[in-house]
Amino acid sequence: MNSHLIDKLFECIEYGKINFASPYPPNMKGLPGADEITKEALEAGVTPNEILNRSLIAAMDKVGKKFSEKKIFVPQMLLSAKAMSISMNHLKPYFADGTVKRKGKFIIGTVFGDLHDIGKNLVSMMVEGAGWEVIDLGVDVKTETFVEKVVENPDAFIGISALLSTTMTNIQPVIEAIKSVSPNTKIIVGGAPLTADFAASIGADGYGKDPGEGIVWLEQQFQSIN
Amino acid sequence: MSESFHFFQFSFKDVAPSSDEVFQFINSTGIEDEHPSKVFVLEILRELENIEGISGGYKIKRDISVSRKDGLIIVDNEDLHTGKQISGYLKDATSLAVFLCTAGPVFTKTVNTLNRNGDIMEAFLLDAIGSLTVEKAMDIIQENLTDEMKKEEMSVSNRYSPGYCNWELNDQKKIFSLIGSNKVGVSLTDTCLMIPEKSVSGIIGIGNVLQKYNYGCKICNNSSCVYRKIVHDK
Repeated sequence: MNSHLIDKLFECIEYGKINFASPYPPNMKGLPGADEITKEALEAGVTPNEILNRSLIAAMDKVGKKFSEKKIFVPQMLLSAKAMSISMNHLKPYFADGTVKRKGKFIIGTVFGDLHDIGKNLVSMMVEGAGWEVIDLGVDVKTETFVEKVVENPDAFIGISALLSTTMTNIQPVIEAIKSVSPNTKIIVGGAPLTADFAASIGADGYGKDPGEGIVWLEQQFQSIN
Repeated sequence: MSESFHFFQFSFKDVAPSSDEVFQFINSTGIEDEHPSKVFVLEILRELENIEGISGGYKIKRDISVSRKDGLIIVDNEDLHTGKQISGYLKDATSLAVFLCTAGPVFTKTVNTLNRNGDIMEAFLLDAIGSLTVEKAMDIIQENLTDEMKKEEMSVSNRYSPGYCNWELNDQKKIFSLIGSNKVGVSLTDTCLMIPEKSVSGIIGIGNVLQKYNYGCKICNNSSCVYRKIVHDK
């Protein structure tokens, strides 16, 4: 029974069946979605950890692979991310009371001067779906805000994005400020005008050209400390 | 001689992309019709029919010199550091049209609201519609310029913008200064981000022996460039 719910939830996330009212996918029309099934699973005694690992993370991992293999496209991935996010809302109390442990914290923001957030939001949701706690600082994030959050969360990994060639140069002072208060903090950068060479030249520890690369980098960091 | 700003205003239906164009633009042509992304795009295209604020225009500048060697175009004593690629394309230009165009504030405002509500797929799609809308409006403005120049037996180049084809984004400030006051209603932040965000600015070369070169996408790394997408789709 429990296993059935885990599989159903996995399927809802894979195909983006958000809730009962969602008409998509057509073969699941009129059936409960990620919202209702997560609730039902918790009431039936499925542990939040099982839900997170066997449904949410596993489904988003499959979605990410399908996207990398060009079997699905960005809108489909975003719909899955939304279903995952709706399900995740039910797990938040268990994160807060420590019942469920996530892989770590990931602080993300678009660098100061830049207001672009679509790519950053996508990374944020995919990283959350990969089992990380995400602290999203939004757009036009000042250096002091990044530093403040790093001090509050010394074990967190940091992601900084920029979408303009004029604002990508703002990332370097942010990295320097973070490293000056927390030299061991690892920072990944991304955004359309950036390259791996540029990331290395400004002192970033990693570069992600898409959300998938960002998640792989985070997994490597996770493996290296565990 | 100071040229006036040629101003254009559009209704959304004049410049609206089709649903197919939106999905081509985001490289997502294989999605089935029942998918909520397809349903949303059709719905939002209908809802956008009455939006206002899509406008743009250009000003002709006749006092120019182009140095391919230095990657420089001088307009009204203002140095545009376009780089060798663009100055090479415009080496035979004898005038320039300096342009500005916007899809208006509705797109950014609605995209932000959708993002705040967690509707990131919808935000992503509307953002793409905004990008296509401003480019389509600019296509019409460029066609008008082409027709006007034909009367003077001149031809026009492709359009080029700071931030693309290795032209430094910082020069956007100079473009705005060259255009001067106008009714388009676009402002520039210190980091050269145009507000409303769905706006474009730049230059179009004009000359009687001007050849129209393809964009140099093959030698550029910017995979998300709007010109790359548009030129490859045509």
